Amino acid sequence: MGIRNLLFEHRDVENIQDIAVYEKHGGYRGLKKAVKMERSAVIEEIKTSGLRGRGGAGFPTGIKWSGIPQNDDKPHYIICNADEGEPGTYKDRELMLKLPHLLVEGMIIAGYALRGTAGYIYIRGEYVEPAWQVRKAIDQAYRAGYLGKNILGVKGFNFDLYIHMGAGSYECGEESALMSSLMGERGQPRLKFPHAPYPTVEGVWKSPTLINNVETFCAAAKILDMGGAEYARLGTERSKGTKIFSVSGHVARPANYEVEMGTPLMELIEAAGGVVGGALKAVIPGGSSVQIVRAEDCPRVNLDYESCQQNGTLLGSGGFMVFNDRTDIVLLMKRTAEFYMHESCGKCTPCREGTRWIYKILDRITSGGGQPGDVELLLDICSQIDGRSYCGLGDAAAWPIVGAIKAFREEFDYWIAHKRSPVGPGHVPPTPEVVNPLLTLVPA
Amino acid sequence: MSQFRLTQTPPSLNPPSDRMVRVKINGIEVEVPNGENIIESAKRVGVDIPYFCYHPRLSRGEAANCRMCLVDVYMPRKNPDGTETLAKMPKPQTACTLPAAQGMVIETESEQVVRDRKGILEFLLINHPLDCPICDRGGECPLQNNTIFYGPPTSRYIEEKRHFPKAYPLSEYVVFDRERCIHCARCTRFADDISGDAQLAFLKRGADMEVGTFAQTAYRSKFSGNVIELCPVGALLSRTYRFKARPWDLHTQKSICSRCSNGCNVKFDYRLEQLLRVNARVNEEVNEEWTCDRGKFGHDYVSAPDRLKTPLLKRDGEFVPISWTEALDRIVEQLRQAGSNVGGIGGQRCTNEDNFVFQKLFREVLGSNHIDSRLGRYQGPVNRPLFERFGYHGMGNRIADLENMKTLFVFGSELVDEQPIIFLRVRKAWRFKGASVVNAVTRVEEETTKVADFAEVNLIYRPGTEMALLLALAHVILHEKLLPKNASTSALAQRVGDWTPARAAAETGVAAEDIVRAAHLLVNGPMAILVGRAITEHPEFEALVEVLGDLVVATGNQGNLNIPGTECNTQGAMDMGVLPDVGPGYRPIDPPGMNTHRMLEAAASGQLPVLWIVGAKLVENYHDADLARRALENCPFVIVNELRLTETARMADLVLPAASVAEKDGTYTSCERRVQRIHKAFDISPDIKPDWLIFTEVAAMLGGTPYFSPRDILRDIAATVPMYAGISFRSLGDAGIRWEYPAGDA
Repeated sequence: MGIRNLLFEHRDVENIQDIAVYEKHGGYRGLKKAVKMERSAVIEEIKTSGLRGRGGAGFPTGIKWSGIPQNDDKPHYIICNADEGEPGTYKDRELMLKLPHLLVEGMIIAGYALRGTAGYIYIRGEYVEPAWQVRKAIDQAYRAGYLGKNILGVKGFNFDLYIHMGAGSYECGEESALMSSLMGERGQPRLKFPHAPYPTVEGVWKSPTLINNVETFCAAAKILDMGGAEYARLGTERSKGTKIFSVSGHVARPANYEVEMGTPLMELIEAAGGVVGGALKAVIPGGSSVQIVRAEDCPRVNLDYESCQQNGTLLGSGGFMVFNDRTDIVLLMKRTAEFYMHESCGKCTPCREGTRWIYKILDRITSGGGQPGDVELLLDICSQIDGRSYCGLGDAAAWPIVGAIKAFREEFDYWIAHKRSPVGPGHVPPTPEVVNPLLTLVPA
Repeated sequence: MSQFRLTQTPPSLNPPSDRMVRVKINGIEVEVPNGENIIESAKRVGVDIPYFCYHPRLSRGEAANCRMCLVDVYMPRKNPDGTETLAKMPKPQTACTLPAAQGMVIETESEQVVRDRKGILEFLLINHPLDCPICDRGGECPLQNNTIFYGPPTSRYIEEKRHFPKAYPLSEYVVFDRERCIHCARCTRFADDISGDAQLAFLKRGADMEVGTFAQTAYRSKFSGNVIELCPVGALLSRTYRFKARPWDLHTQKSICSRCSNGCNVKFDYRLEQLLRVNARVNEEVNEEWTCDRGKFGHDYVSAPDRLKTPLLKRDGEFVPISWTEALDRIVEQLRQAGSNVGGIGGQRCTNEDNFVFQKLFREVLGSNHIDSRLGRYQGPVNRPLFERFGYHGMGNRIADLENMKTLFVFGSELVDEQPIIFLRVRKAWRFKGASVVNAVTRVEEETTKVADFAEVNLIYRPGTEMALLLALAHVILHEKLLPKNASTSALAQRVGDWTPARAAAETGVAAEDIVRAAHLLVNGPMAILVGRAITEHPEFEALVEVLGDLVVATGNQGNLNIPGTECNTQGAMDMGVLPDVGPGYRPIDPPGMNTHRMLEAAASGQLPVLWIVGAKLVENYHDADLARRALENCPFVIVNELRLTETARMADLVLPAASVAEKDGTYTSCERRVQRIHKAFDISPDIKPDWLIFTEVAAMLGGTPYFSPRDILRDIAATVPMYAGISFRSLGDAGIRWEYPAGDA
């Protein structure tokens, strides 16, 4: 347990973005192994590894891969979800920025195993620099013969990779909305099983489509290199391997940390240098959509899917946010609610109307207009959204509010009764200064 | 644009499977087609599931956003020991998209579902202005109705509601109230799926989302009126009907649209003698439930203030009102003097009954065969171009059949203007049934709904080169041997000559490869040809129809050549024998009388003492307007039956006020030969008479047998016209009857 740099093994090697350096450090070994195997054996390898989707839901990757039909004449599409928009999460950014070849390799392996025709990397619009790195990596891979026609001498293994930049919508990170957006439609979710076939049967352009997160593809490349059984030795019984956490908030060294699954939560905080500016108050372990964990519960939580769920939260995408005791939870929730109100696509009633209502109530409470009964009203609105919305965004907007009320009910009541913050001024983490403007359009 | 079809899901109306499955809805077991929406299945057993966004004719890909139809679902799950248990799905599911599966159990009234519906309605109402007292939709509003039955009695929302300027004019006919919108996406889906202009779309996102057009341009759809009926709240409203009435004050009468030959089923909503709005009536065979803007907003003439209300006689160049007694005396006097030398023009906009009495008066009482309903350029023998070869006049296919074609060839037609409802079928065939469309027109208008938007090949040819284009298509089909060996191509082969695509390209201005591509599509059967005005008004109409006939015969699509009429009863007027060379039921008449053009020529040279024009705008619309004008000037006595003082009527000697579609009973026959009933809604003035009454009164005064009602006349039609045998007001019902030519009659 603890820090275990697997995907990040060569993160700090100088010029690892270059294909020659990458190959010297064992790059594309996984792909070379894969193309010597049967296609089904590659999928079997992923199954053996027990890898689960790293985008947030944790769906077993092997099962997803084997859902792509093997004997049909439709084109197959491999899509990488790099629309990393979950507040608090920035792991895909670093992976693409530092290890673009790992992602490219993982996608080519998927393209081989699933007879893919083309791959699309749907990158969040703000990620200009990571996109440049991936662009460069793709170009180098073409020149090295890892992409294009008859890859690595395998007859009939043709695979092309494209980058598609998003246009700034959180919703497009939801896989069906991502498909809509990729096809040029409005970025809104599409019908899902059982209302429509799985994307692996009918996805983009009515063809079988695989959608995985950046980290999942990177892990797939590693798994093919080290072997599924070896990978499965890491982690807990049902959560295998490693997971990258984007640690932020009141810690000494906020950064991406790759830990083995099942690492105690407190150990990660220690690794990040411990809490600063006060005592630990709460942790959001998996991005803003998941429930907040009180400090006294933190020692019980291990960082794997099951342990998180047992403790009333979720592993999510790994946006690990730490708050010290100067944090006002109500204001934090108001900011969270504002985010979901702004990002709701507007398609379905509960999410469109509910997220705004939640924000307006929290805004009223934190402006000194709270009324008795507001907390019950909030809980009731959340129960009317949760599970009733078209896609997961509605659920994700309701969970943190319910979680915060459950964990810090007294702070909401304090705001309503006293019209001021229970922790005094300076209650939210100050906005960090932007030192590295994202829109430097020069190729990195 | 044709590839856009790929990303859409089919509409939910047609059950996707023949296989039946058993489901249980609120404890009622029912057998339904596999994959049918649970909303439709529930309707079968009389269980009401409320909804806003769902619509059976719109694709379901965009549905399920109102979340009103959430239900609890239990699925059978196999246990390891072989038994089955029911497992509840963790989340409630939308019934409008949930496909029925074997053993599924649905609960629509569980405590949780009732609570969910209350929650959704509370959400919908927090931003709805609730200005029901001044809303046109009040009283027929799904939001009101669902709130009464399923909603919470009060709201807990105390924040500020969303505000927008009221009454944003979206188009010439539609105003939009953004505050009332509940974002059901019905209008945007209609624009996408049905009318195809795709102008309406959602702008912005989240709670700021609103329906709009790009950069606030006008909504130009030719079917924009439908969104008013589709809107489940009062957000999209008619500019002509707005603030005119409360729905419960309106009377409704079933009728047929009088603005084109497609025969849309409509409802006339009226108060006193004011026709206030026209809404669509469902007829799956004809208009499904759509109307075009011409039909929906084009009936303002019925209650126009300038309607004629008394007969007018011209004295010294001025019209003076006279009584009907005097008018009839004048007519009888003139007709007696003229003997059989009288001409009758028009009747395409009158009912079958009017036309039948019209021709009966001329043929049996006056003894004249100079009667013609045709106003177009082709006035040759009626039976020649199509009937003698294929056994029908006009359309070979039913409108509903068009959607089952694999290829549709639209030739020389601005289909959306000439045949709006056929246009919708063609689009449906392309959009949901996978048909390819070949479109040959002289020009493509920008910025409007049109076939060219989704046609696989657009052949934009120079006017007058239709024949070259057709022969080149045939040339490709023959020389590339696209047809099976046993196809009867001999007739076509004789005509083709050396019209190679290259030569035709130089002549027509169409790229040679487009001609080749189109030809490859045409052999992909079943294929139907839709011919428009550019062909029917062509000087070489007969020759073109012959080549088109050869084409359908060679490709094995006999009977799929369609030449639809243009006015609401073009077909009926012909059936009733308002033609110079055939009588009722297309029985040849010997000797034939003069056709419209010859009558006008005779009148212009002063050889026709009496000309009776029935609802025909000759001066305005006839292709030789000068001739029409001279004819009306030089004819000693011109009678015109009209609704308003048109330019033609102004040149008449006697103008008779005729009843409009809303003021009389009768039948129309649509372009696909569907006989449909119109019902009288109201009387505007006691001095306005339906045309048949005018004719029968004149006939009676001249010694003929009078008729007393349209029912009476239809009985006589059924006895006289073989195709109408068995048709009566009762047998027509709501959907009408499409008649077929009696076998062996051709």
